[in-house]
Amino acid sequence: MAGKVDRIQDPELRASLQAAQESLRKGDYRDVVRRSAEAFLELVRRRPELLEGQEGIRRLFMFPRLGVDLAVSPGSPPTLKWERERFSFSEAVTYLEFATEQLLQAGM
Amino acid sequence: MKFGLFYELQLPKPYDADQWHDDQEHRIVKEALEQIELADRLGFDYVFIVEHHFLEEYSHSSAPEVFLAAASQRTKNIRLGHGIVLMPPPYNHPARVAERIAMLDLVSDGRVEFGTGESSSEMEMGGFGVRREEKKAMWEEATRECLRMMTEVPYPGYEGTYFAMPSRNVIPKPLQKPHPPVWVAAARRETTMVAARLGIGSLGFSFETADEARERVEEYYRLIREECFPIGKAINPALAVLSVLSCFDSEEEAIAKGLEGAQFFSYSLGYYYSPFTGGAHKPGRVHLYRQFRDTPPEQRWGALAEWFRGFAGYRGGFGEEPQDEVGRALWRAAQRGGCIGTPEFIRETLLRYEEAHLDVMLFVAQCGARKHEDIMDSLYRFGTKVLPEFKERHEQHQRWRRQQLAPVDYPIVSSI
Repeated sequence: MAGKVDRIQDPELRASLQAAQESLRKGDYRDVVRRSAEAFLELVRRRPELLEGQEGIRRLFMFPRLGVDLAVSPGSPPTLKWERERFSFSEAVTYLEFATEQLLQAGM
Repeated sequence: MKFGLFYELQLPKPYDADQWHDDQEHRIVKEALEQIELADRLGFDYVFIVEHHFLEEYSHSSAPEVFLAAASQRTKNIRLGHGIVLMPPPYNHPARVAERIAMLDLVSDGRVEFGTGESSSEMEMGGFGVRREEKKAMWEEATRECLRMMTEVPYPGYEGTYFAMPSRNVIPKPLQKPHPPVWVAAARRETTMVAARLGIGSLGFSFETADEARERVEEYYRLIREECFPIGKAINPALAVLSVLSCFDSEEEAIAKGLEGAQFFSYSLGYYYSPFTGGAHKPGRVHLYRQFRDTPPEQRWGALAEWFRGFAGYRGGFGEEPQDEVGRALWRAAQRGGCIGTPEFIRETLLRYEEAHLDVMLFVAQCGARKHEDIMDSLYRFGTKVLPEFKERHEQHQRWRRQQLAPVDYPIVSSI
């Protein structure tokens, strides 16, 4: 049965999150977090309207703040703010699930 | 589908007094125990009770292990659930959790459900020095080690990121082997998927609809089969969802006796979990219930919306459901929902969850200023008019579940 990541239509983003899944299996949780967070950044880079208005504020607020946060400054796309280098399994899954859900909801 | 009760031990202050009367906390505890005794006799499967600290009026349940021990001596069959134990070590040392869970399992003849969680209110995290950025990692480390303590002789000791201890044999061990069924509080969808991947039950606190529950059930059980790395020595595949119950013979009575309590539940939850109001709470000085009552009913959600506007840009009014999961859960808790009504109305609602293969429906019955006699009346009506047919059909669900779990090799300890 295909997982949710496999339902992502964009080949580049799908491949990145499939690689994140593989890193999860190997125990490389930092890579999972990095790929997932960067997939979300790529989503909003391609679709900047997703960060507009109140919906956009809400979307930013829902980003997991578990060791990597978003740095947001007016007029610029968000960037990642790393607070640490080591992550737990559950933190990695949280970032992966968040990114996957955001991409699917955006129809990517 | 199985059924349970979910307790916060809500205790609004009297409207016309600045503090509670001396006997009120005593009374609410005794009444809740009486409600659980009735639920046990009626055939409810679970009672879950929270661990919260300092959340005045919203939850007066800071020592659930004591409450559940009392419940264990008044009941025969109902499963006794922590909903949840706060696992970050600044709240509870993992060894103390392992000891308490095991002792409760012994005194209850093996009826414990070990719900775990991380907390998220500023009042609690600030009170115990837990950093928001680290709470999930703390939860995972403490839960994994706690389960080792329950099962390993001796526990070899641990030097972790968030706690350390030398080798000790942590005793007693729980009656259920290798350990009681494990759950995690899941206020967000991501946590349900963490639960699946770690082989533990998901206590869904976001008031999911039947359609949302169906989607989560499918993905959760797929992950259990294909992507599970158990955190303990046995897995507990199970999904529970929360709803607010008020079951009476007429719609009008169910709403009159049940809706305000649901709205206060949501109002007080929103108050403590908003970083603007919750973090700025003045201990011992706020009268939340008076604030709630003095807000006209049609504006109560509007008042919550003001808080949401502050941190999440929420613009909805009373009639508009927020899109973010946390706001949506609060909004839904304040609505009439599918389990405030007649037995027939509630039955129709529950059939949709049953068709979605949900494992457990948990009811908030004690909330706001609801009267004890009304809660008992509502439980009795549900337990005699709705519950029996679902119990009769539960075997069908168990068959479906066995099929879902057929490829799974891990030991299963589950009460579903």
